[in-house]
Amino acid sequence: MRIKIIIILLFITSIHSVSGQVLSSSGRLMDDGRFAASTKQVNQFFRRFNAEESKEGDVRYYSDNENYRNRELRKSFINILFDNETSDIPVELKREFLNTVISESYPQFLNFHGGEWFAEANTVFSYGGKSQEVTLFLKLQPEGLGYEWVIENVNFEPFRIAFDKPEGDQKKFLHPLSHELGFMNLRKAIQDDPKPESYTPKDFDPDYLTLFIFEIKKGNLKFETVKEVKYHFFQIDKWYFELSQFNRPGFNTGWLISNLVKLGDGDRDVIMNFIYGRK
Amino acid sequence: MKKYILSLLILFSATSMVALAQDNISPARKQAIDSLALEKVKDLSKYISIIGSKETQFSEATRVMDRAEELFAPDAEMGVSSINNSEIAYYKIRRYFERLMALNYDRVNISWYDIHYISDLERQPDGRYVGVITVYQRFEGTSQEAGLNYRDTTKKDITIYVEKKQTQIAGRTIEFWDVMLGDVRVTETSA
Repeated sequence: MRIKIIIILLFITSIHSVSGQVLSSSGRLMDDGRFAASTKQVNQFFRRFNAEESKEGDVRYYSDNENYRNRELRKSFINILFDNETSDIPVELKREFLNTVISESYPQFLNFHGGEWFAEANTVFSYGGKSQEVTLFLKLQPEGLGYEWVIENVNFEPFRIAFDKPEGDQKKFLHPLSHELGFMNLRKAIQDDPKPESYTPKDFDPDYLTLFIFEIKKGNLKFETVKEVKYHFFQIDKWYFELSQFNRPGFNTGWLISNLVKLGDGDRDVIMNFIYGRK
Repeated sequence: MKKYILSLLILFSATSMVALAQDNISPARKQAIDSLALEKVKDLSKYISIIGSKETQFSEATRVMDRAEELFAPDAEMGVSSINNSEIAYYKIRRYFERLMALNYDRVNISWYDIHYISDLERQPDGRYVGVITVYQRFEGTSQEAGLNYRDTTKKDITIYVEKKQTQIAGRTIEFWDVMLGDVRVTETSA
């Protein structure tokens, strides 16, 4: 364990080796190593995770380079890609994850275009005269000659509480001979009952994205700003991790793994429901 | 402008070694594009320093703002957030420069860190390529009368658009890759 810590420290120190003076020969400020160590872009997270760039981040390794996806380099990189200050991911779990992804027989890499990862953007919209938080879930999809990010799902409290379908004895219904009366009882169902969702099929699942677009087009939802973005990854077989940005003093900063879960049967659905704010 | 034409020709000569007809960007071409993009980012850094300096005359600052604006694609915006407020405030490029010029400090010193990071280039639906260059800036402003002494370090994530264009040189049609700057995300850091 001690040796491993020393190796990680040596690795981080080597990233910092450019520091020493305040100004470089070009008259620019010298980084004391913090910016070099920081995982500055999500792109850099991918490259570090796969060992597709140099320790300093200034050389991109392509498949014809001998260091491309080097196992030892990956090991060093992945060790510094965890949030070590606030996330409290157990050391043993990190080690198991590391051993899984750098396995000699079945190494696993992240693929920008490989799907199985998506963004969660916490935004603010003006709605009903006040600023309210809206969570948007975005994914990359092929389009035209390249790729684009698209909004795949929305979580918005006013939409969620608007649909509260009663169950059991509480649920009202259109009786089975309503058709004989030409559904005249729809008036009571829709106009008088504050919960018209009672009259929907068992598998009714409100489409918040459609509502979201509709409300924007009607001018009721107005974009204000983005507060925070994080990413959810299911690309590694039987693992889930969350990627968040840490803007703080020190060397453990930038885009780092903030949550890590080893997935058992059915766990993926549980996590997806949690992320999407479903019951 | 002359400098960019020279850079474009260098970029052309660098890229002509690889199959120019292809739309894929080879590592050699990517490196040449990175250099041109970095040159534009360095110019932007220089312009920001001139615009922010109290020693710069208004007319000169206006001229430099015009030059700086030319680096950007139309509709590019700055999105600014601070440590205390993670919400993004949006400014048109020109407005951002005007705010910078109007800062009420007796002395302003803007310096840049000797570190940058360049992303891969990704192709967007219209066929253009897009990338992001990250640089770090330190701002120091002092106002003797008000006793103000403000300092911050910001991370600037600068969008670059890379597009294949054509030009006529001595009657010949030459294809080259041009770089424009796009939206810039400015994040205050804890450094």
